[in-house]
Amino acid sequence: MSKRTGLLLILPAFIILIAIFIGPTIYTIVLSFSSYSMSGIQFVGMNNFIRLVNDPNFWTSFFNTLIFVGVTVPIELVLGFVLALVANRAIKGRALIRVALLIPWALPAALDALAWRWMYNTDYGLFNSILINLSIIDNPINWLGQIPLAMISMMIESIWKTSSFMALLILTGLQTIPSELYEAAKIDGASSWQSLRKITIPLVMPSIMVSLLFRTGDAFRAFELPYNLTGGGPVNSTMTLSVYAYNNFFQYLDFSYSSTVALVQFLILLVLAVFYLRTLRWDVYE
Amino acid sequence: MSKSKIFRIFDYIIAIVLVLFSIFPILWLLLTSLKPTSEIYSWPIKYFPSKPTFQNYINLLQRGDFGRYFLNSVIVSGSATILILITGTLAAYSFARINFKGKRTLMMIILALLLFPSVAVVPPLFLIFRNLGLINTYISLILGHTALYLPLAIWILTNYFRTLPRNIEDSALIDGCTPIQMIFRILLPMSLPGLVAAGLITFVFSWNEFLLSLVLLSKNEMRTVVVGISLYPGEYSFPWELISSAIILAIIPIILLTLLFQKYIISGLTAGATKY
Repeated sequence: MSKRTGLLLILPAFIILIAIFIGPTIYTIVLSFSSYSMSGIQFVGMNNFIRLVNDPNFWTSFFNTLIFVGVTVPIELVLGFVLALVANRAIKGRALIRVALLIPWALPAALDALAWRWMYNTDYGLFNSILINLSIIDNPINWLGQIPLAMISMMIESIWKTSSFMALLILTGLQTIPSELYEAAKIDGASSWQSLRKITIPLVMPSIMVSLLFRTGDAFRAFELPYNLTGGGPVNSTMTLSVYAYNNFFQYLDFSYSSTVALVQFLILLVLAVFYLRTLRWDVYE
Repeated sequence: MSKSKIFRIFDYIIAIVLVLFSIFPILWLLLTSLKPTSEIYSWPIKYFPSKPTFQNYINLLQRGDFGRYFLNSVIVSGSATILILITGTLAAYSFARINFKGKRTLMMIILALLLFPSVAVVPPLFLIFRNLGLINTYISLILGHTALYLPLAIWILTNYFRTLPRNIEDSALIDGCTPIQMIFRILLPMSLPGLVAAGLITFVFSWNEFLLSLVLLSKNEMRTVVVGISLYPGEYSFPWELISSAIILAIIPIILLTLLFQKYIISGLTAGATKY
């Protein structure tokens, strides 16, 4: 088929992508170099960026986001890997397990956050009740109301929501490994630890790498979870970049500064995207 | 007991533990939603309702706004899914089968967009749609969701088309089909599993989307179900009897789709997330 047909077929998709993503992103860049008011847009050079660098709240959100990504993603990976190994062993219940692993992924993150907010509730929450009944604690804990516990509580929720999805992706990778490989290794006298290191890990590595990059991007964009679980508090301790950009927009109606924060976040993700693209094998599309 | 029998029991225990791990927040909400208000706010906690009641659900539905939210979500997610399937299929077919200049770059843009932070387009989209008078219209959010999940759908479908044998399409073209005819008569029937996967994933993502839905549809009667529920908590009050029953109803479509079509969703997601 002709090259013109090729371009023609992708045209409708790209019109939408340009209208909603690419064009507005350029507008975001314009906004971040200007001051927006009812009377119009005024160019202000680097003012917003200077303000950003000197804004302690920006840095708080920035480091919160980094800590959130840096802690949750590795734990989710390890936990997901272990879950996948276990699920791969449980031959009888595998279909059931696959559905179960899919459920946390499929639920709306905003509503998950509310569900967890209810379980973390100080006075009537499930967690305090269980811990008190088991005599682990004497008095209810204010999970979401103190620093740094609120961040830890948020991380726990995130780890719950995504570890199972990581497990699902890794499980799919595990199931493509031919069992003969393990049998041959066994005959050669390899221990199960050796099979894990020499067969399992290298063969699921591609799935792990790509899901890791996706997951990092997701965690870096986290909005629903902090917004609905803690609202960024207490005292900004769970404020992420997305929530900070959003708040500047809707609470303070500062469109330009909000764009500046969002642009910085976009640039960081762009670096991640480039890294992601470089890890992919492009020859399949030649 | 034989060793294999013990292992089998062990397998089931693992399966049950994993299932409980995955669903316990929902289970707890379900139990909460079936309790009368007095038992929701009692200490020590009553883990199970002493007399399960549907009163919370009745109260929720009598408020009227929930049904409207739900309908809004059906309209937005349904339309976005259809729009994505149409434009995504055409683009994915082109990426999978036709060699044209700039394809590599365009495909890279699609992939890079998979990591796009939607907050980066919130200020301009709000301003643009407001100037066009499209804030609080379905069309704004349908377009927003379409763009948001189109890259993933294109990626999934491209991978899927590449697994299909090419010669059937070629012979149809040689027999005088136009490319569009060939896509609708030959390719689509063959690629139904891929389309189902991409459609389901789009629908689930769009149903669950929060940020754009919050910003673009801000009038109460236009809100989507996820955003509507998230606003039930007031400044100081958290009506958990209302919130828990609303969440349970809002996720029923998602849970049903997941249970019924888990194979398609998993194959689509793993193709989208891990194939390279």
